[in-house]
Amino acid sequence: MAMSEFGIVYAVHIITVQFGSVVSKVCECLLRKGPLSSRDISRLAESDINHNQVKHILYLLIQHNCVQAFSIEPPDGSESKAIVQYIVLFNNILHRVRYNKFSRIVNEELGSECGAVLDGLLSNGRLRLGQLIERDRDSGKTIGSEAIRDSLQKLVAARFVERIPSPEPVLGNKDQEPAKKRGAKAAKILKEPETLEERVVEAATPVDAIRFPLIFEEHSNSSLADDDSNITEGKRKQRDVDSSDPSSGVIWRPNFEEFIHRLRHKACVEIVKERRDEGCAIVLRAMLEVGRSQEKKVKTDNSAPMSVGSIYEEVIKTEAGRTMLQERVEACLDQLSATSSYLPAFVTEMNDSYIVDFKSIISVAQKDEIEAVVMRRYGKEAFRMFRYLSQEGRFVETDKIADAALTEKKDTPQILLKMWKDGYLHMQKLAITGTYVPFLLWKVNKLIVTRQMLDEMYHASLNLNLRLAHELESEKELLMLPSDKLEGPLKERVKKVRAKRLLLSSTMFKLDDAIMLFHDF
Amino acid sequence: MSKRKRPDPKSPGGDLNEPHEKKLLDLIRINQGRGATMFELKREKTIPATIVTRLIASLRKKNLIKEVANMNNKGVKHYLAMEFEPCSELTGGEWYTDGALDLSKIEDLKAKCVMILERHRQRVVTLEVLCGYFVKEEKLSVDQTKEILKNLILDNLIMEVKSNGMNEFASTRIGEVCYRLTGKKSGNGEPRAGAFASIPCGVCPHIAICSPDGVISPTTCVYFQKWLDF
Repeated sequence: MAMSEFGIVYAVHIITVQFGSVVSKVCECLLRKGPLSSRDISRLAESDINHNQVKHILYLLIQHNCVQAFSIEPPDGSESKAIVQYIVLFNNILHRVRYNKFSRIVNEELGSECGAVLDGLLSNGRLRLGQLIERDRDSGKTIGSEAIRDSLQKLVAARFVERIPSPEPVLGNKDQEPAKKRGAKAAKILKEPETLEERVVEAATPVDAIRFPLIFEEHSNSSLADDDSNITEGKRKQRDVDSSDPSSGVIWRPNFEEFIHRLRHKACVEIVKERRDEGCAIVLRAMLEVGRSQEKKVKTDNSAPMSVGSIYEEVIKTEAGRTMLQERVEACLDQLSATSSYLPAFVTEMNDSYIVDFKSIISVAQKDEIEAVVMRRYGKEAFRMFRYLSQEGRFVETDKIADAALTEKKDTPQILLKMWKDGYLHMQKLAITGTYVPFLLWKVNKLIVTRQMLDEMYHASLNLNLRLAHELESEKELLMLPSDKLEGPLKERVKKVRAKRLLLSSTMFKLDDAIMLFHDF
Repeated sequence: MSKRKRPDPKSPGGDLNEPHEKKLLDLIRINQGRGATMFELKREKTIPATIVTRLIASLRKKNLIKEVANMNNKGVKHYLAMEFEPCSELTGGEWYTDGALDLSKIEDLKAKCVMILERHRQRVVTLEVLCGYFVKEEKLSVDQTKEILKNLILDNLIMEVKSNGMNEFASTRIGEVCYRLTGKKSGNGEPRAGAFASIPCGVCPHIAICSPDGVISPTTCVYFQKWLDF
């Protein structure tokens, strides 16, 4: 999805808070103008940043996985050299506010030692095993180099950590690709054209065997993979900005894709628990475990098919599912496959196999979020109209909407116009000969509404951050005093500030879940 | 010999205008319950525009047509043939009385429907049973009953399901349309409160003009102030 204005402003704020305003100027330049070379960045960035400073900033942003370098192969026969450009990885910037969610997953699944190793990678961006061991040695609670190595191995096996991507992949020149003849069948299953960011990330990502090696080599051979030899579109390149440590060893970084994958699964189980019951949630969790290894991408629409037997085997492995009989599991599957005007089916039954419909589950939660805003912002008449138009999925004329929603015909246009002005409805005018005024037609376009809501949620996240900073700043001196020495009104004030901080932080946490629901899931 | 009075050429229903009058009446009749407006009739090329007003007056005097105001635009009059009732486009529909929506009647009917479903909250209630009640007790038509049910679905208070003949559908035919309450009252889950809708920005009417350094900003926002004043 293209970046919205407040998406950019929010991302710039995250970088400013964590790295300072000079770094965020470079980031903002890339966010607003797209991929650029380092010379273009120093020319176009809004501050006076010289070329050397730009290079160091880019090094820092690459270290923290916020920027990826790449180049495009010059056209055949051309004598020009490929220029290295830098593309900002918007998703990875947003992930920076979710690190505690990622940590929690690892701590729960693999234990605190793995959690500590992951925290090291999250705070430093990317590290070698040697650096992780050094970091552990310098910390207060050391766990030893063997434990660090084992933990790293477990993290890689679980795909929470990966080898860093290729530093400067070379993309083929798209104009020069031969036009492929497509048959009618191929035309129907045409993939959506990839964005440049997707092409760059795909080109930089090594094959799984290299990305998640099963056997660890501490030195030499494995480190060659961090040079350019694993580029999928590959050529070796003289690097414009040197991002790797000169000492040998594989460089590791967190694999954000896998964390989002897990969070998506977790969100689906939560949605099913809220909209069905605990039993259905247990069954769904088991289905997700069964099908996980076969899911090739995060935003997959459906799981692989699975039998009742394999689902039941997984259910009884868990403490909560141990007491469930197969009959109960089958009843839950029936419930999950049921459809009504209230809920779509979450699971599809096909030839005695069951398939999880991720798209359906996620869309229910998205619908709840959107409709909650419509209800609270525009009122219950607008809520009915919005739901009616969402169900119809086409343009409908004003009077018909009024009839369906049972609202006064003279009040209906104003309500619809309010939603349209804020980008929640699509409107078209239809002039018909013989009528005094043109007909107004209205429609809910889910893509447009989603984009609008996302932009507003980025805006709200930014606002919550700024308000929290403001609240803490205004009581900065009070908060510096030792709290056990405070009494009376001062103690009350400190309590109040802490309560505000808790409210604002927990709200940001939940709002970020909603952002992932629309952007990442 | 008695003098025969010459017919008055200006009198309505005079022979001169008879064919045009009939044509006008036919045009109005074709549109049945919607009729036609003065503007539409004057646009007709087969009848001179200058005499349409007079012809309309003549037809009204002869009780062959009637005038009905468009409830959406009271200034616009439609002319209908006497044998037709005005369509819902003009009157607003069955829920309109004298051009106004009978909101209290609608809310009352919706509340009664919810009460019936609450009494049967462990089971479902068929469309047939609901129509039976509303047609007999509330004097509604089947279509009006369905409109009330559709409206309650839009309110997310009830849901429509198709019977599978088992469990709570045990006393219904397979495939029969049934209704039940949504939400915890009937053992179903509830929609989320909405993370975004639960914060001031989510419901703020001024979010489009709010900015970090603007007149409306998160640090000066009164809605934030109220929300944090607990």
